[in-house]
Amino acid sequence: MPAILRGISSNTMAAMLKLFILLVLQLTISCNSEPFPINVWPIPTSISWPSPKATTISPAFQISALYAHKHLRAAVKRHESLLFSEGYQPIVPPSLPISPTPLLSLTLHITDTQAPLHHGVDESYSLTISSSNGVANLSSTTVWGAIRGLESFSQLSWGNPPLIATDLYIHDRPLFPHRGLMLDTSRNFYPVEDIMRIIATVGANKLNVFHWHITDSQSFPLVLPTEPKLAAAGSYGPDMQYSQEDVKKIVDFAMSYGVRVVPEFDTPGHSLSWAGAYPEIVTCANQFWLPNGPSDRAHRLGAGPGTGQLNPLQPRTYEVLHNVFNDSASLFPDPFFHSGADELNPLCWSSDPSIQSFLSSGHNLSQLLQRFISDTHPFLVSLNRTVVYWEDILLDSTIQVPSSLIPPSTTILQTWNNGINNTKKLVGAGYRVIVSSADFYYLDCGHGGYLGNYSAYDASPEHTSWCGPFKTWERIYDYDIVEGLTEKEKVLVIGGEVALWSEQADGTVLDGRVWPRAAALAESMWSGNRDENGRRRTAMATDRLMDWRHRMVGRGVRAEPIQPLWCRRNPGMCNFNA
Amino acid sequence: MAAMLKLFIVLVLQLTISCNSEPLPINVWPIPTSISWPSPMAATISPAFRIFAPFTNKHLRAAVRRHARLLFSEHYQPIVAPSLPVSPIPLLSLTLHITDIHAPLHHGVDESYSLTISSYHGVANLSSTTVWGAIRGLESFSQLSWGSPPLIATDLYIHDRPLFPHRGLMLDTSRNYYSVPDIMRTIATMGANKLNVFHWHITDSHSFPLVLPSEPNLAAAGSYGPDMQYSPEDVKKIVDFAMSHGVRVVPEFDTPGHSLSWAGAYPEIVTCANKFWLPNGLNDWAHRLAAEPGTGQLNPLHPRTYEVLHNVFRDSASLFPDPFFHSGADELTPFCWSSDPSIQSFLSSGHTLSQLLQRFISDTHPFILSLNRTVVYWEDILLDPTIHVPFSLIPPSTTILQTWNNGINNTKQLVAAGYRVIVSSSDFYYLDCGHGDFVGNDSAYDVVSDLKTNGQSWCGPFKTWERIYDYDIVEGLGEKEKELVIGGEVVLWSEQADGTVLDGRVWPRAAALAEAMWSGNRDEKGRRRTAMATDRLMDWRHRMVGRGVRAEPIQPLWCRRNHGMCNLNA
Repeated sequence: MPAILRGISSNTMAAMLKLFILLVLQLTISCNSEPFPINVWPIPTSISWPSPKATTISPAFQISALYAHKHLRAAVKRHESLLFSEGYQPIVPPSLPISPTPLLSLTLHITDTQAPLHHGVDESYSLTISSSNGVANLSSTTVWGAIRGLESFSQLSWGNPPLIATDLYIHDRPLFPHRGLMLDTSRNFYPVEDIMRIIATVGANKLNVFHWHITDSQSFPLVLPTEPKLAAAGSYGPDMQYSQEDVKKIVDFAMSYGVRVVPEFDTPGHSLSWAGAYPEIVTCANQFWLPNGPSDRAHRLGAGPGTGQLNPLQPRTYEVLHNVFNDSASLFPDPFFHSGADELNPLCWSSDPSIQSFLSSGHNLSQLLQRFISDTHPFLVSLNRTVVYWEDILLDSTIQVPSSLIPPSTTILQTWNNGINNTKKLVGAGYRVIVSSADFYYLDCGHGGYLGNYSAYDASPEHTSWCGPFKTWERIYDYDIVEGLTEKEKVLVIGGEVALWSEQADGTVLDGRVWPRAAALAESMWSGNRDENGRRRTAMATDRLMDWRHRMVGRGVRAEPIQPLWCRRNPGMCNFNA
Repeated sequence: MAAMLKLFIVLVLQLTISCNSEPLPINVWPIPTSISWPSPMAATISPAFRIFAPFTNKHLRAAVRRHARLLFSEHYQPIVAPSLPVSPIPLLSLTLHITDIHAPLHHGVDESYSLTISSYHGVANLSSTTVWGAIRGLESFSQLSWGSPPLIATDLYIHDRPLFPHRGLMLDTSRNYYSVPDIMRTIATMGANKLNVFHWHITDSHSFPLVLPSEPNLAAAGSYGPDMQYSPEDVKKIVDFAMSHGVRVVPEFDTPGHSLSWAGAYPEIVTCANKFWLPNGLNDWAHRLAAEPGTGQLNPLHPRTYEVLHNVFRDSASLFPDPFFHSGADELTPFCWSSDPSIQSFLSSGHTLSQLLQRFISDTHPFILSLNRTVVYWEDILLDPTIHVPFSLIPPSTTILQTWNNGINNTKQLVAAGYRVIVSSSDFYYLDCGHGDFVGNDSAYDVVSDLKTNGQSWCGPFKTWERIYDYDIVEGLGEKEKELVIGGEVVLWSEQADGTVLDGRVWPRAAALAEAMWSGNRDEKGRRRTAMATDRLMDWRHRMVGRGVRAEPIQPLWCRRNHGMCNLNA
């Protein structure tokens, strides 16, 4: 059975589908350079709408989902109420014939309600809305596919009272199983409501991973049951902490959006904040980061201000870490656990007396990291976790571990340097890879540096941030993360994440930094950045992204505008090439 | 009072804040010209606290009421809590002394003030020449308070006055629309930063959002829609609100370029309206029809043009009382005019495009003048290589030019020609830069080589607050030339901004301008004080956020908690 028909339960459905599949082959959206009157973001893999038409939604409309699944139930309830409360007014109002039969129901057909929300779970769905009998059907293998379909359904409605696109068929499934956003909550704090709004919007964009970079050198905001001192002494304060209840609420909320929460405790680098509670396990804690000034960067004590690394030689380090990992495993059910391991600083370790004697006995810094990983990697695996690290653990030129310590079967690497080249290196070594290339996917870049007393602003007219320029939505959308890889290597690229490092972001500006740029990632990871002829569809996506941003704003997300409104009202007129 | 003041002035000479590299426990942004606080101390504010002020000026009255309320409602919690001895005597009153209650809020009005807060009597005094100086002083007073119930810095003396009389923010409400509450919040925050000019770039090619009483068709056909317009009542409310914050509202109607939006109501007065802007593609920039998408320029040969303009100018003069009127005149595109049949015959009879602009200015400049306005133009009117007018048409006595290209060089050219100049160098003061381009179907983002330089905006990189703070707008000018530089404006062009992101685009970067224009970017020894300003700006940003402004963070909170540790140079 072709993948496209998987998960369809009844014979009548199957017959109907076959008819529609024929239509899909004849007419897809990519044939038009103007978008459909109403669209779904990310654009579905295939959508067929041979005679665009709308229908009213009956006040008695119901979503029928006879499954006792609490996350599905929450999603259904949310969409039922959104349908009548959203009142979305498209920038260009769709002008469509209205079917005389109002839509009465949407019925969900799920074949496997037990599949957990894990990496690689089937997220495909098929949606039909029919004007002839006023019913819609949503079929999927899993609850998570159904949640994707509900979102598409909701994006097909507009107006007040609401209308919905009808006589349309969608079959949809993601290109990449891992589609995420990383948020750093250590440099600056984000309230729980901000995180929940982000996760809801992540789900609405069919992104499925919220990679939560919880801790770093600047603060340790998470209150852990067995290590409460870490947050007590390491957070920015009692009003800038996440409690266990907060985390449970966030994880549960995320599931109802089909979003996994992958926690990251960045270790053994980026760990100054651990020193509040346990000064003895942190080397070079809270030193000035550039002791010999900017001209001697080789002798820096951290990649940036906020120095401190966990000491792999101190037994207490592992006691604390095991508690943290145990707590984390019970708070975060996801089978992925991110352990950091980026930007280890040689001098921060080698300047510590206990480490000096280790080094003088013929060891090197890589062996020091190996000692750390030899303990923590198996420990995390014993918690039934796949361990995710930043690429540095393998590719750093000074401090790295051999692949044998981090077997590809239990390890995933996240790349951020050197574009496609590092991706290639990592998949070449057999690892599954998450792509977060700083040249494409770093949302904080191009905003200037945050360092103080920096005379570059007096002198250099060209100074941007280290990873500038700003990554536009087009830059993100256009990045081909598997370009130049062999078919076997491609399979190892499990997806991508845009990343927001928070030196210069917090709740005040969060939405605008993330949206709609993360939406550009969402579409390229879900259905790709090319049309059926293999041509980039970036230009065509512009109007649709304007619409989707407009819709997100209406839903309470302060997404930034990408063009004057005039451009959407005058399709094509704001292009470079007519 | 006078004797007390003299005593304090002596102290000021001995101790100023710039001596310390760490900020005072509580600070005012922009930092006052002189502040003396020899033994830092705090006082509680009595629940019976009152502000005594002359009640004849309604804008002062509004400001006093606002500050009296803010004092007890703000509950500002500093990032680093001030640890100060608390005087046993609570502060009972603040008394305002104003010598000239009638001076209008015009360019160059005296904004100086002196503020003393004394723990000895539990009283504070604020002296100023004008109401507008008093409003500046009230803001300083309010920034000296914190906590709940509130404390206030005491035994302190401030004397304060601005370096530059024109300190502004330009907002473009045409590319994208901003709601009235967004504009009012921005103006309130400007006032809190002691900025005094809201330059309202009302119209451009993309929309004409202002409903004018005698030309309602312009907005009816040119705005983004009935829910994206400003009514005359909105404007009155905004102008009045701005005055109570000591902020002037200077309107700009960008003409004769950037005028497509006028064509909705009057297609006959707009040339090349709504054509594709780059008919021959990117490689033939010379044949563009506009500097960016949205083509259309007013036709100087059409009599109807002037009928409409006179109505617009008259309406504007009655809506906006400020004596400055900005008439635009930037980025005239040769091809948009020369492709128009009526203009072609003008050109073929031996005229030039500059003469065409001259015809336009010969009518509009005197007309605006007749409305008792000083006319402000963008520098292009004089410096554009292709289309410009001679000095004689825009006499320096009635004309101010706003520079945006070529940094200090253009400032120098303009002041050398005798013009008063407003500095808005795009290399320093453009808040929209570095955010990528907005033009669609741009393959620059598809090119994977040269990632560092490709795909910035035309005026990238992003202008950090330090870049803005550090710009010396009169550097290299003669003393006489310096006097002609009346100030600066940061500018937000709105191709990629609207109400959703307004606050973060503007704040705290406009605050960096505010301090540079008010008390400068150098300490008393003439050294840049940017590094020292960082902690204070973190605090001020924190305070603005507490006041409901979504200003962006400039550093991790950790940096403010660990003074100096986030510097590049220790």
